[in-house]
Amino acid sequence: MLRVNDRKAVRTKWHDWAFMLPAIIVVAIMTQVLFVLTIGFSTLRWNLARPDLSIKFVGIDNYLFFFKSPEFYSIVWQTILLTVCSLAVCTVCGFLLAILFDHDIPGKNIARTLILSPFFMMSTASGVIWKTTILNTTFGWYGVISKALGFVPIDLLSYYPKTVIVFLFSWQWMPFFFLVILAGLQSIPLDLIDSMKLDGANWLQATFLVKLPIISNYIKVAVMLGLVFIVKEFGLILVTTAGGPGTRSYTLPYAVYMQVFNASNVGRASALAVMTVILVLIAVNLLYRSIKKRNAMYGY
Amino acid sequence: MGIRRSGMKQRGGKNLEVRKSHKRGKTVRLVIVSIIVWVIAILYFSPIGYMFLTAFKTEYQAVTPSLIFTPTLETLKKVLSDRTMLGYVKNSLFQVVLGTGFSLVLGVPAAFALVFGKFKKKTTNDKTYFWFITTILLPPVAILVPLYILYQRLNLINSSFGLLLVYVGFHVPIVVWMLHSFLYDVPIEIMEAAEIDGCTRFQQLVKIAVPLARSGIMTAGLLVAVFIWNEFFLAFNLTGNTTATLPVYMARFREQQGMFVAQLSASSMIAVLPPIILGWFTQKSLVKGLTLGAVKG
Repeated sequence: MLRVNDRKAVRTKWHDWAFMLPAIIVVAIMTQVLFVLTIGFSTLRWNLARPDLSIKFVGIDNYLFFFKSPEFYSIVWQTILLTVCSLAVCTVCGFLLAILFDHDIPGKNIARTLILSPFFMMSTASGVIWKTTILNTTFGWYGVISKALGFVPIDLLSYYPKTVIVFLFSWQWMPFFFLVILAGLQSIPLDLIDSMKLDGANWLQATFLVKLPIISNYIKVAVMLGLVFIVKEFGLILVTTAGGPGTRSYTLPYAVYMQVFNASNVGRASALAVMTVILVLIAVNLLYRSIKKRNAMYGY
Repeated sequence: MGIRRSGMKQRGGKNLEVRKSHKRGKTVRLVIVSIIVWVIAILYFSPIGYMFLTAFKTEYQAVTPSLIFTPTLETLKKVLSDRTMLGYVKNSLFQVVLGTGFSLVLGVPAAFALVFGKFKKKTTNDKTYFWFITTILLPPVAILVPLYILYQRLNLINSSFGLLLVYVGFHVPIVVWMLHSFLYDVPIEIMEAAEIDGCTRFQQLVKIAVPLARSGIMTAGLLVAVFIWNEFFLAFNLTGNTTATLPVYMARFREQQGMFVAQLSASSMIAVLPPIILGWFTQKSLVKGLTLGAVKG
């Protein structure tokens, strides 16, 4: 009797693995095995444009090359700057907008739907649309309106590439933050809000001292996911500024792309990719820990 | 408690007029908030709205920005009869349909086993789930180089299956992540009862878990479909002329300053309408899937 049970148990255990294994194998190969290959490539001297130079193991030379180049630091700095600024704008605007939406506004669903739309738009389309129909100095709304007001429109994309990119990133990603934060606000129990009012909390206190701490986990989740998605954003930069002027709006993914397809340098591109991943993982890890800590504190 | 009760008494003691003005103040505030919200919403949507309008202009009308014009279907017809554009649409549909399908076929059973499966070690479920989540964090740039070289050697650059393979690999974790929270809502007692009644694991999955988590599967599927439809980085780097998808096509407009604004708008409209409409329908369950999976996970 016992033996039969045992065999059945073993069988279910095997079955349960069978449900997961195909997924695990595909995901492991397409993400982790390939990433290990990237790490391996990053230790090689390998230039596709120079077949005469044999592929050679060079250790950490590719990394040292970047650590010695001042351009690398400015690209890292630009990546951090663009990401952090976009995340900050998204969080602040998303939070304020969510507070506004937490009222019984007529036609609320339609207004929310309108605001949500940019989030579902492909970044290359939004990039070219902004570039040609709005930011263009002769054919765009920006050019026409500033001429009508008596200003000489300047090419914003060449003069303020980073500001424009932060603005466009935020336009695309703020709806996501707004949606998640709104879900957080609506998860606050009604009796808590009632007792808050009875205790005489004014609007500022209610919003920033009561509601904000309660939904801080929602905000952190939005920031964490937003970080993962914004860091890898590539299409928008390619179609609006193409990394320029010069390298002033390069980000790490863009630099990797340039290393492979313009410089054909496999080794250096891989080293850059590895460093990108390390940076992302450090940032995500910090955020994740603060979520865990809070969960432990409040005993969720 | 005592303080609160005395507060209630005071409120009850307020005369009617004060309460009335309080109420009026509230209505005024609501009107102001509503106006602000609607102005923001319309301004926020205006670039997309103007793009939709421009799609109904002729190329000549589109040169100067204006809101008043006689709409025409000329540009849309031209774009829709363009062979190359239709090729990109076809490639995109291929990736979306097969990519979403395979991601679900692999991801749904995996999420099911993660929630209900019994393994030798009790921590296996949590650990494997956590592993799936960490793979979401990996930016595609991390795998681009070896993939590009591999595909070049295997001649997969000019085949849609190469891109499809990456898409499945990258979107299975998203399916797992979103479904995990939906399946968690299914009471485990149902599964145990089914097991006692002689249901195999496979029957439990197909006959109980899938119907009960239907909305979750739909949401995960639609989200993955939107992601694949919009994905640019991998599509741009891993496809050739005949296999590229719509985002790559849209990127080609980047150099043509104001030359084909109407054509650009019409193509953009075709490219962005499907995901926007899908997104409108799924916004509620999307929030549930994203936040539950993350806040509690």
